[in-house]
Amino acid sequence: MDIHINGKTIPINMDGDTPLLWVIRDELNYTGTKFGCGKALCGACTVHVDGEPVRSCSFPLKAAEGRKITTIEGLNDKVSVAVQKAWVDNHVPQCGYCQSGQVMSAVALLRAKPKPSDQDIDNALGGHICRCGTYQRIRTAIHQAAKSIG
Amino acid sequence: MKQEDINLERRGFLANSGLFVGGLIVAFHVPSVLTKAMAAEAPSPKTVYPPNAFIQIAPDNTITIVINKLEMGQGVNTSMAQLIAEELECDWASIKSISAPVDPVYNHTVFPMQMTGGSTALSTSWDQYRKLGASMREMLKMAAAKRWGVSDSEVKAEKGFVTHPKKGKLSYGELAEEANKMQMPLNPPLKKSKDYKIIGQSIKRVDAVEKSNGTAVFGMDVRLPGMMYAVVARPHIEGGEIASMDEKAARAVPGVLDVVKFGKGKAAVLAKNTHAAKVGRDALNVRWKENQNSKASTDDMMKDFRERAEKKGLVADERGEVDDKLKGAKKTIEAAYEFPFLSHAPMEPMNCTVNFDGKTADLWSGHQMPTMDNGAAAKVLGIKPDKVNIYTTYAGGSFGRRASKTSDYVIEACELAKVVKKPLKVAWTREDDMRGGYYRPMNFHKVSVGFDDKNQLLAWRHHIVGQSIMANTVMAGMIKNGIEETVVEGVAKTHYDIANFRCEQTRADTPMTTLWWRSVGHTHTAYAMETMIDEVAEVSKQDPLEMRRKMLAKSPRHVAVLDLLKKQTGWGKKKAPKGRAWGLAVHESFGSVVGQVAEVSIEKGQPRIHKMWCAVHCGQVVNPEGARTQVEGAIVYGLSAALHQQIQVKDGQIVQGNFNDFPVMRIQDMPKVSVEFVKTDEPPTGLGEPGVPPSAPAVANALYQLTKKRLRALPFSRELNA
Ligand code: FES
Ligand code: FES
Repeated sequence: MDIHINGKTIPINMDGDTPLLWVIRDELNYTGTKFGCGKALCGACTVHVDGEPVRSCSFPLKAAEGRKITTIEGLNDKVSVAVQKAWVDNHVPQCGYCQSGQVMSAVALLRAKPKPSDQDIDNALGGHICRCGTYQRIRTAIHQAAKSIG
Repeated sequence: MKQEDINLERRGFLANSGLFVGGLIVAFHVPSVLTKAMAAEAPSPKTVYPPNAFIQIAPDNTITIVINKLEMGQGVNTSMAQLIAEELECDWASIKSISAPVDPVYNHTVFPMQMTGGSTALSTSWDQYRKLGASMREMLKMAAAKRWGVSDSEVKAEKGFVTHPKKGKLSYGELAEEANKMQMPLNPPLKKSKDYKIIGQSIKRVDAVEKSNGTAVFGMDVRLPGMMYAVVARPHIEGGEIASMDEKAARAVPGVLDVVKFGKGKAAVLAKNTHAAKVGRDALNVRWKENQNSKASTDDMMKDFRERAEKKGLVADERGEVDDKLKGAKKTIEAAYEFPFLSHAPMEPMNCTVNFDGKTADLWSGHQMPTMDNGAAAKVLGIKPDKVNIYTTYAGGSFGRRASKTSDYVIEACELAKVVKKPLKVAWTREDDMRGGYYRPMNFHKVSVGFDDKNQLLAWRHHIVGQSIMANTVMAGMIKNGIEETVVEGVAKTHYDIANFRCEQTRADTPMTTLWWRSVGHTHTAYAMETMIDEVAEVSKQDPLEMRRKMLAKSPRHVAVLDLLKKQTGWGKKKAPKGRAWGLAVHESFGSVVGQVAEVSIEKGQPRIHKMWCAVHCGQVVNPEGARTQVEGAIVYGLSAALHQQIQVKDGQIVQGNFNDFPVMRIQDMPKVSVEFVKTDEPPTGLGEPGVPPSAPAVANALYQLTKKRLRALPFSRELNA
């Protein structure tokens, strides 16, 4: 089958049950998407499928057929740039391992809700774990990004 | 992906992570004149570090600073670079940080090896890195003066240039080569704190961009041409061996390349990708041989600990007449505290990539103790340590786990590589990581506190029963007369002025492997001390803050922290809003004192933490925002454990396996945290860990105000949901 990822179409010859995460990481070498739990419990593996945040560790390759996948490497719009800038400005990343996933969910949130409330942020980011405890700064950064996009 | 792409990718990776290839960092040449001079002048060789081993100035004036500590989130690649940049007088924008290779020149200034731990990165690099920057600055000045034929005192170093009123200016880049041949000043002048321009500034993390756009490379991301992915079947408790397995089923999994028995009774499935390796490993359906641990359970272990607490332990600290005073006490509190095993559960599970061809080996991982990992790998592979190259990537958290006292995950990967002799990466699943041992040890505290007829504190006896971390390791020598600092720290030598006090320790071993876990012994000692102190304040009808202040009057750092905390919260004047309560704790660890006030409520029977105020005395703060992130993170780490986490054993198996049964606080649970620092220019003390210890007791003390129930068995969920 073909996979449409970050604007490219790439033929893939892998078992359709393989979780998308491992196709992305081990086959396509987009290592920005991380493995944290493998059970849709931590959000480290979050990518966009047709613009929606999805836990790629629990999303089989075959379900990606005909759909557009974006990983952290494929982010380049205004919202993404604003989010990433806010991440840097607010000293968000510590070890950084969870942050690709956090950024993916933050970008999806801001595209859907340009002025999110704290509750919106809890709902959109509540599935993510950060063992370094960067949550407070993630919240501030999302609000800052929202403001900067205007 | 085409092979060229992979190779390109690899080159990109190597260049990005500064892995000392292509002459990026050449052997540090220390001219023999200089070595002789150093030998003659230097008090001991370990206090002399050639600046060019740490500071590389390129012709275009970019400056690469070699960081001899692992960047695992604590910000060393930024804060340690700040120390050099301050003294070097360079433009911060020209700075880049890279991780050091393994070489004795990068050894820790206190421990005889290269390592990161004990919250010592800034405290022990404070003099070393500032002096390196200052020496390099002086050498650059000398080089310019020599070129211009003027005296050293006429030239100035500023913003990456050496200047002279008449001769003009030369960039550091132009001078670097000559500067490195200059005599290294052993005691270069260091700046006064009032002149700092970079130290004390909240400079943005040097790794923030790559950690926000997915380009940062972690051990898990390392990829070599032709590399196989390996997932290992290991026993839940070390020492177990495979009795039988279904090799055929594993080989039938698409993508599986090989099944290998290796090491002591383990097996690995090697595959084209991580997923196939994992499915293959699971398909092995391993049965483990019965052994003495097959029936092990944490319930039995705790029962054993409890019994041992009834006998007298080894005395770790004693003053006054504890037993007599307790006998004569008018009132006593007898308290028993239980602390479970805890997994570090760093976000990036353990992994190690090895390329061993039979003669030399390359190793990639977030190495926290690279010297030990290097030696361990060499031993397993049967080659000389200098035939092992260690590459340190970013680590996706560690919290102590990557400072493996036995190099366990490195040894395992090398054992496998020795058999396979092809490039491979051993990847751990979350369950592998959580069930792979090396836990914060389980502990039991028995505390007896006596009061006189006026309800004033008379005596305190404190017995800690717990497993050793250091026994049977190279650190065993740090156990003195049976007393292990990592078990009793925080109770023994308490700063509280208690006239009759004794701390006892009893070592109780279990089949489990143990390790330091962010703030080590303080994870449990601070809890017992600070919740019991709260009880003392209640019995003696004193304000918990004022009583602590009185009992800690001889410790200026504690007093300063309590005073700052009072200012932050309005303690004594203000109160928690209706339905909420405040709780306080203060604790010293790793040289720093941290005080915290928690504001909590109970919602649907569960604790809700609304706010945490933190006052910190950690000496000079190098990067205030960076420092705040460490304390914020420590609170999440400490409270996640206190609220929810435990590792249990039943029938020799670890019960917990993933974040569903080992929960972590999430964004919706995050309290508002505000961190303030006591202003001082004393040298820095630790900060990565000290935020952890006071967090749980502060919350427990607040919860008590609401429930009138003292929580003495952790995690809280055990008692609250009981
Ligand atoms: S790795 Fe997919 S949610 Fe954790
Ligand atoms: S930054 Fe380390 S896990 Fe989130």
